[in-house]
Amino acid sequence: MSDFMVILMKELKDMFRDRGVIIGLIIVPLVLYPALGQMVQIGMEQAQKETKVVIANFDSGNYADILIKTLKIAPNVTVVEIKAKSIDEALRIATSKGYNVLVVVPSNFSECIEENEKAMVEVYGIFTGISLGMKESVSEGRINAVINVLNEELAKLKLKSNYPNPEAVLHPINVKSYSVLKGRVINLPPSVVSGVIASQAFSIPLVVFIMFTMVSQMAASTMASEKENKTLETLLTLPVSRTAIVAGKMVGSAILGLIAALAYMFGMSRYFSSLGMNSNIKLEDLGLKITPYGMVLFAVIIFLAITFAISLSMLLGTFAEDTKSAGTLVSTVMMPLLFPTFTFMIVDVETLPTVVKYILYAIPFSHPIIASRAMILGEYSKMYMSIAYLALVSLGTLYATAWFFRTEKILTAKIRFKKRARGS
Amino acid sequence: MVAVEVEKLEKDYGKVKALKGISFTIEEGEIFGLIGPNGAGKSTTLRILATLLTPTGGRAEVFGHDVVEEAEEVRKLISYLPEEAGAYKRLTGLEYLEFMAKLYAKDNKKAEKMLELGIKLSGLGERLRDKVSTYSKGMTRRLLLARALMVKPKLAILDEPTSGLDIMNAFEIRKTIKEFVKEGVTFLISSHNMLEVEYLCDRVALIHKGRIVEIGEPEELKAKYNAENLEEVFMEAIKNV
Repeated sequence: MSDFMVILMKELKDMFRDRGVIIGLIIVPLVLYPALGQMVQIGMEQAQKETKVVIANFDSGNYADILIKTLKIAPNVTVVEIKAKSIDEALRIATSKGYNVLVVVPSNFSECIEENEKAMVEVYGIFTGISLGMKESVSEGRINAVINVLNEELAKLKLKSNYPNPEAVLHPINVKSYSVLKGRVINLPPSVVSGVIASQAFSIPLVVFIMFTMVSQMAASTMASEKENKTLETLLTLPVSRTAIVAGKMVGSAILGLIAALAYMFGMSRYFSSLGMNSNIKLEDLGLKITPYGMVLFAVIIFLAITFAISLSMLLGTFAEDTKSAGTLVSTVMMPLLFPTFTFMIVDVETLPTVVKYILYAIPFSHPIIASRAMILGEYSKMYMSIAYLALVSLGTLYATAWFFRTEKILTAKIRFKKRARGS
Repeated sequence: MVAVEVEKLEKDYGKVKALKGISFTIEEGEIFGLIGPNGAGKSTTLRILATLLTPTGGRAEVFGHDVVEEAEEVRKLISYLPEEAGAYKRLTGLEYLEFMAKLYAKDNKKAEKMLELGIKLSGLGERLRDKVSTYSKGMTRRLLLARALMVKPKLAILDEPTSGLDIMNAFEIRKTIKEFVKEGVTFLISSHNMLEVEYLCDRVALIHKGRIVEIGEPEELKAKYNAENLEEVFMEAIKNV
């Protein structure tokens, strides 16, 4: 077995036995996010199950009966009529019997409609707890939908006598929406297309952020733990090239970082799918296609960005005295580099002022996001530029890390984080 | 053959001069002791010879190889035990020795032989199957010494090998060092325990404030200063510094 493999195997064994790492980086995202999603899903399912509506009808006219009949035939709605003398009494009955919604039909409801005035219906959502009010909001939505239908039906009924096609009077314009993407007309409304693009814009920066945070923390702590456990001096006097030590540690960190990132991505995708964020529209429906060549280019970009993150973090880790201060140091340096990537979620970088745009382009972590979009749109020239830039930056950082390992600075370099004095 | 040759070695840490031009040689098969109080420059000298630090001035060679120019060659010949060394806590003692053996021996047979010797030297028996995090300080030190010696280096550099150990552990370690000399291993030991060094070393160098103030065999030095032990020799020797 080569020295590199011996070191790599030791690194993996050492890291995978760290309960904190396993629980925090792998178990928690694999269990916590899906569990959270499951809870939200259960809440939403409950909300969709049944809406118990109680109606207090104070009107003796025909239109109140039509309203109640329409509500009764609406799906997933249980309607119960109650006799009450006042709204307060109706609310008391509804609350005591566990109904979610109270619909109050005032005494002048039918009269207003007959006299071509606007009639009023009062809807009360009854909150029984503080569980985000999902049940109530869904219920109110259903009542509103029924009332909208009723509005239309009543309007049509009235218009019928004077107009042969009341629908054309009510909705004189029909809208058929299309989207144009990369010069191609797609038979989908812009809202749907922007939804798909938004989900891409949201998920990729998030995944990039999580992945690089994980990998960086791993790499820094592997170096810092050598100092903390006082094993570094021994390691550096072994008959092993420093390159093998650096490479073994880097690959070990990358493997664990990637596993952790996958765990987070899996956990989060389960969470988001529970929230119904996954669209049924696929990229192919928008005329976009990810080619194997595009994927290869994207993988190269991810590899280079990870190389940069790991070598920089290992370098930072050598300045820390223990794993805790390594975490602080990495966060202090990496966060300002990672946070701007969120800009890609909300704005089109091309529209930003030139200086801001080039600052964003100078941050290596921007390139996986730029590349993910370029890959989808088939803009390979952008990917080539990202590869060239990342190769340059990664090699530079790698060289600096390797150089640092060959000098005594690896033992003597220190950045102290002063503890805040108590009472000061 | 000369195992170690140090000539006018200097080391500065910023404005602090840790070594001010020390010179000494160690013959092959010798146990050489570097003794002096804390901060005298013992560990700095050892770290330079172990290729960890770069000297500011002078030169140092191990079996004819320059510690700066031929650091990789030097690392093949030495085994270094730092004063405050630790082992990987999440590995078992056995896994730790195995890891080290694989890095020193370039084939499996040699690695197995080294491991066998390491197991014997550590004297930890079944406890080797436990994680290092469960070891006492003495057990860890024995594991580390076993690691340092199982590879049968040409030069073993041991910084305070018995520091913080109880009498029994310290005795065992001194006994092991004596045994290994018979197998041709050269030892460079630093200690502030002068009585221990007197018992263990063939020759000693007394170091004080980055300078070697005296060098020779313990008996010779005691006779020169008409002293009963090396402690007295040291106190007399530094009077003129």
